[in-house]
Amino acid sequence: MEQEHLSYNVCNNCHNNVPITNKFCSKCGLAQNHVEVGIYQKKWPNIQQIALFFVIEIICCIVPLLVEEKSLTTLYFVDLIMGFSAALFFINDWSENKVILKWPGFSILKLLGLIVGTILASVVVTFLVDNLNQFVFKKEVEYYSIFSFHKYGVYIMFCSIALYPAIFEELAYRGYLMQKLLTIVDEKEAIYISSILFFFIHFSLISVFWLLPFALFLGWLRIKTKTLWYGVFVHFFFNLTACFLDLYPLKEIFKLVY
Amino acid sequence: MENQTASLCNCCYNAFNDEDIFCNSCGYPLQGTQQEQDTHIVIRANKEIDIAELNGKVASARNSLYWIGGIIGVWAVITYFVSPDADEAFSLLITNVILVGAFLSFGVWSKSKPTTALISGLALYLIVQILNAIVSPMSIFSGIIMKVIIIAYLIKGIKAVLEIDKLKKELNIN
Repeated sequence: MEQEHLSYNVCNNCHNNVPITNKFCSKCGLAQNHVEVGIYQKKWPNIQQIALFFVIEIICCIVPLLVEEKSLTTLYFVDLIMGFSAALFFINDWSENKVILKWPGFSILKLLGLIVGTILASVVVTFLVDNLNQFVFKKEVEYYSIFSFHKYGVYIMFCSIALYPAIFEELAYRGYLMQKLLTIVDEKEAIYISSILFFFIHFSLISVFWLLPFALFLGWLRIKTKTLWYGVFVHFFFNLTACFLDLYPLKEIFKLVY
Repeated sequence: MENQTASLCNCCYNAFNDEDIFCNSCGYPLQGTQQEQDTHIVIRANKEIDIAELNGKVASARNSLYWIGGIIGVWAVITYFVSPDADEAFSLLITNVILVGAFLSFGVWSKSKPTTALISGLALYLIVQILNAIVSPMSIFSGIIMKVIIIAYLIKGIKAVLEIDKLKKELNIN
């Protein structure tokens, strides 16, 4: 009677019915997890590919630190290389990665809710980060000063800080990196690693209090929704709010209101 | 069949049926020749020894993270007290405290999530070294042997974690 309740797998080698509780086929001795074992063989090469991707990211991020005279040309050159690298790595595994460019279960309400939540979170974070930077480093963070000389400085700032990272950082970290990590570790660990590496690449340890939780949220969102797009919008509106508050600081807004 | 006692596998001591040719728990050739059975046991035992050795490499990588945390901690205290600029000393102390916390946390975390902790630890260590080299290019050569050893330990640790997982899968150990 017990036999009737057992589920069976068919052995790939001898086609014997193997109860799913058995780890090896009792007729030919084939391990029933040989497909999984095959996957494990690819893990180290995948780690090496991730290492290459991350080294390129680090190189791109340190180049502006090495250039004495920072200009928009340098900034755009580095952005271009990073964007190109992200796209190239993503396309390299196109068959596995293309699925996250789809938007299954699109919900306008969910998107709007996320955008509103993101804007509020960004306002709070900007306020806290400003105060934290003044307390620890005795300096204020300014984005616009690099772009202010240009006729279209405001638009360039919005593109450079809000639009570009939202697309290419998401493509790189929640796109390529996350997909690659999922071939090595489970979902939870993939979120952790991609978020930690995303945080490290910003070269700002003090931002551990907000950038790491933000990255963890984006990673969780990407896994939960199985699409890159919610993350792209969240990232975009988070950075856009920070840019807006750079142009119109909270203190000045408060003064205008009260 | 005389090798079998009370229908228990000689290799993993799990029960088997008389008609089974291989043990369904470990793949032991129940009706194989003596040589086949011995070979199976030796291969399995070797893999278990490999796992033990690889666990040692993971432990070394974990200790590297503790060492990095400890060294930065000592360095942070020294620089805090010798730095002439109080503001700079304070911001450096905060940065170093975060670094120490991060490396020690990765060390502890490597007991439950070794892959994540070791990859993160290695990435952070490399970034810290690169940023130090940008601020002071000659710093890259100071303690270079130690740095190479730490990086090697961490890389070997990551590789060992993956290898352990693979061997466990091959042995069908959950």
